[in-house]
Amino acid sequence: MRKLVIGLAAAAMASAFGMAHAQDKSVTMAVSIPAADHGWTGGVVYHAEQAKTKLEARYPGLKIILKTSPDGASQANALEDLTTQGINALVTLPHNSDELTDPIRQVKDKGVFVTVVDRALSDPKIQDLYVAGNNFELGRVAGQYIKDTLKSGDVVVIRGLPIVIDEERQKGFDEGIKGSEIKVLDRQFGNWSRDDAFKVMQDYLSKHQKIDAVWCQDDDMAVGVLEAIQQAKRTDIKFVVGGAGMKDMIKKVADGDAMIPVDVLYPPSMIATAMELTAANFYDQLPVRGSFTLDATLVTKDNASEYYFPDSPF
Amino acid sequence: MGARHCLSHLGGRNDCGQNMSTNTTAAPRRAFANIDLRAVAPFFALAVLFLLGALVNTNFLGIDNLLNVLTRSAFIAIIAIGATFVISAGGLDLSVGSMAAFVAGTMILFMNTGTVTGDYALLGVAMLIALGIGGLCGLANGLMTTLGRIEPFIVTLGTMGIFRALTIYLAEGGSIPMKSQALRAAYRPVYFGSVAGVPIPVIVILVVAAIGAFILYRTRFGRHVMAVGSNEDVARYSGVSVNRVRTMTYVIQGICVAIAVLVYVPRLGAATPTTGLLWELQAITAVVIGGTALRGGVGRIWGTVCGALILELVGNIMVLSDLVSEYLIGAVQGAIIIIAMLIQRSLARR
Amino acid sequence: MSDMLVPLLEARQISRSFGPVEVLKGIDLSLRSGEVHAIIGENGAGKSTFMKILSGHLSPTSGSLAMGGAEVTFRGPVDAESRGIVLVHQEILLAPDLTVAQNIFLGREVRNGLTLDDRFMSAKAHEAVLGLGADIDPNTVVNRLSIAQRQLVQIARALAVPHSVVIFDEPTASLTTTETDALLKVIAGIRDKGAAVLYISHRLPEVKTIADRVTVLRDGRRVGTYDASELDAGDMARLMVGRDVNKLYPDRAQTAEQDIVLDVKNASVPGYVRDASFALRRAEILGFGGLVGAGRTELMEGVLGLRSASASVTLHGRPVHFRSVKDSMAAGIVYLSEDRKGKGLLLGQNLTINLTLAGLNRFVRGFLIDKSHEKQALDQAFTDFDIRTGNREMNAGQLSGGNQQKLLLAKMMLLQPDIVVIDEPTRGIDIGTKEQIYRFIAELAHSGKSVIVISSEMPELIGICDRIIVMRNGEIAGEVAGERMNEDDIVMLATGANQLTQLSA
Repeated sequence: MRKLVIGLAAAAMASAFGMAHAQDKSVTMAVSIPAADHGWTGGVVYHAEQAKTKLEARYPGLKIILKTSPDGASQANALEDLTTQGINALVTLPHNSDELTDPIRQVKDKGVFVTVVDRALSDPKIQDLYVAGNNFELGRVAGQYIKDTLKSGDVVVIRGLPIVIDEERQKGFDEGIKGSEIKVLDRQFGNWSRDDAFKVMQDYLSKHQKIDAVWCQDDDMAVGVLEAIQQAKRTDIKFVVGGAGMKDMIKKVADGDAMIPVDVLYPPSMIATAMELTAANFYDQLPVRGSFTLDATLVTKDNASEYYFPDSPF
Repeated sequence: MGARHCLSHLGGRNDCGQNMSTNTTAAPRRAFANIDLRAVAPFFALAVLFLLGALVNTNFLGIDNLLNVLTRSAFIAIIAIGATFVISAGGLDLSVGSMAAFVAGTMILFMNTGTVTGDYALLGVAMLIALGIGGLCGLANGLMTTLGRIEPFIVTLGTMGIFRALTIYLAEGGSIPMKSQALRAAYRPVYFGSVAGVPIPVIVILVVAAIGAFILYRTRFGRHVMAVGSNEDVARYSGVSVNRVRTMTYVIQGICVAIAVLVYVPRLGAATPTTGLLWELQAITAVVIGGTALRGGVGRIWGTVCGALILELVGNIMVLSDLVSEYLIGAVQGAIIIIAMLIQRSLARR
Repeated sequence: MSDMLVPLLEARQISRSFGPVEVLKGIDLSLRSGEVHAIIGENGAGKSTFMKILSGHLSPTSGSLAMGGAEVTFRGPVDAESRGIVLVHQEILLAPDLTVAQNIFLGREVRNGLTLDDRFMSAKAHEAVLGLGADIDPNTVVNRLSIAQRQLVQIARALAVPHSVVIFDEPTASLTTTETDALLKVIAGIRDKGAAVLYISHRLPEVKTIADRVTVLRDGRRVGTYDASELDAGDMARLMVGRDVNKLYPDRAQTAEQDIVLDVKNASVPGYVRDASFALRRAEILGFGGLVGAGRTELMEGVLGLRSASASVTLHGRPVHFRSVKDSMAAGIVYLSEDRKGKGLLLGQNLTINLTLAGLNRFVRGFLIDKSHEKQALDQAFTDFDIRTGNREMNAGQLSGGNQQKLLLAKMMLLQPDIVVIDEPTRGIDIGTKEQIYRFIAELAHSGKSVIVISSEMPELIGICDRIIVMRNGEIAGEVAGERMNEDDIVMLATGANQLTQLSA
């Protein structure tokens, strides 16, 4: 599931048997993440809270301050506030890379260990550790699956919002279906919202008489897509591929729902991974540095149970 | 130019007022046309859009497509009818989108408790609760603006954040889905069902608009709403309870939000943090496109419904057309809305 | 003195139409250096249109303007101003939150390098207001000034540019007698410096005092131009109206009865009125005189529940407390605000909505407003109050001042009140309509209703009231009736002059 890409001190993970006396060392870790404004960020907040409880229990000297911010500007302020409290490490999922690069640089200049999650900074030199899902892979795996399953046919795409993540997923998807007979009829933005995806799908159904499959960039939008298809009572659509790993969708995969045969992972739990690795850097006496990319795993009926977290909000 | 200057001096008690009067007296036909055109303008803009849609894609005029658009315009249309009251009375409500999410969330949470036995009984009670919560949210907005004497912009900006955060809190960051599939199935027809070929949400729009128009145009309360929006002092000096009227408009807005929620919940069966996002801006836009003045004193219920349809049609036409890159859709939508307003205003000025 | 004979500004056969309606027909006028030239006429006679043409706000449909004998065309008010023609607007057009100096230099700020030279502007502004005979601190924020002071600031602003012709549009409309006198002195000063002053006013005694020549307009035509010394106020009124109007005030027998309908004791309105008591009798017309700001309006608003106040009020012998104006209306008392446009009528709504707003309950059947009943009421109001407009779909804001007052009267009379309080009943109303309003007030008293009239025009109070209470600085200064109802006594009470040594008899 996890693959080390470059320069990670590999032993970090394996060093749980590090020196015992180090467990009491006092370390303050700040975690700055977006507020739960949609399903996926909701999942991030959930997993961050879970990890906080778990890590503070594991390392008695560790204090974790968790702070959510509704937008980039307030996140910049939150970073300043956190720094003044005297922190040793910062784990952050920035709202957007450009706006927050400098505020994070200032934190770094105070000698704080910086871990960036999901959205890379404009200047990669700032981050000590970078943990991310693979957006390009998310698109590519979905495209690959559609190519392998359909061989040829007509597909419609519902994109998210016009930002980098969306672009990467889109590029990956195009890469995935390259060289096949798959034709993309339409691509429109659904704003990562069920309601908007519902509308766009309704319009696709009016516009195109035959659609073989739908790719939408995340599972939230897949909910709206499914509802629109059900309303139109159309039988030509063979399946829908979403992404991210929302529990409802994973459950559908596990249950063998024909419309949702697979899902592509982009787990919000990456925040927990980042926090664990960061803690390991302090307590396990092994420097953790570099870039850590999570696979965009294809979830199928066979492995779905591994990724099903019924307690998570997402 | 001369006439315009005159208008700007209407406040003055000079000859100009007299001139205006003789002017209109001499040309009653023009004055008549004036009134008519202003109300008709949004419908004209709608007709132009229809034409555009038909040109762009032949599927546009398909019954299914038109019913889809009509049906999904229900949320904004119903909320905007409430906003017509608030805005006519000189107020503003930015919290409607968040309020919709909050009402939807609490309604679903109640249904998930299953405290009432029998699906239909449970639905009925849940609906009443939703209406009650909507009304209370509106009442809170109203009391804070009137008794608290705080600008409605600030109050409702505040409650916008509060309702949104409460929803996310209730959802624990995720979504609030209806748990019972049986209940879901029982409720689903409220969005997807139809009576004599007319989708239920469309019927709801018509009923709410008819009641709204009746209240605004034919009752004492409606007259008072217009008076308060035209000039609060004049209304007060005429014995109108300005605060009570203002507050009631917010309550009506809250109830309209709740009615929109009653139609929204059966569609996707869940409230999510993105539910109702930016609906406040769409509702206000619909109201203004419909010919209601943002400064208050004029309210046009049917114009508002038309405005909501225009908004929804613009989106539909954009997706159906292959003319524009998906990146430029926002720009084209914005341009179409501005053009619709230009058509409306230039007709009104004739 | 040959320059006296070459007109500074000349209008030659000026006509102006709005659509099919010709509001000015072939007006000739010449303005000489060093004269005050008054233009008088009823509302609708075309005074304001004419003035706007002279000041470049409007262009004539036909005819031409000439300055110093040469024909000119104004491209707009700025162009006219650059040629030395300045207009002092009737309304106060100042930015209320800026200081006096900032207002006077608004749009023509003096800079000192990159920054504003506030010290210089303050000094100049102070000089300018001093030149008008007033000592106003140039750093005062305008909304803290009285109306009269604002008027002066506005004049100072207009005069701050080089000028040869100064046009005043009803400058005294909202001023008290003393303030008016001061303003007239200012105008005489402007004239004496060699400028020509064009003076537009309703108030004929003022015109008589200040004007050298008078041009009378009626229905868009020039009736004639006269030396002011040839005419008295009565002549002017006759020329304006085109008929005899020597009887402005109705003959009336004293109708006041003994029983007191409204008794107010120890009324106080925080910041405005202290401890005022008065009583109103049945069928009486009771006047309230005093300077603007004496607290008359505030006293009435306080008693009637329009602003917070403390008072013990007895109505028809029973103690009452009006928490809001709704209560006092229900008790049969109506108040017609002096601020017709701001508090009396909804300018942007049609006549019907305005007419029935206060008495809407009478038009509601079940839940519905009975629109045909409303229409009947409007027809009735048009007849009863002689509201003159052909088009009933127009908005209240499009009515002339006189018709607005009539509509407001009609609106409040729909409530069938016993007591009518009218604040400044004829402000901004032409002489013909004034006469009608006075007659109407007299009829109210005759029919047994009681009326309170608040007015800053003493002749008006003396002409129609049975008794006049005079207020000064938020207190009741005294009361005059019978023989003592004359301007001297009222002024003395209003200004407190009786408490000082009499300067000149």
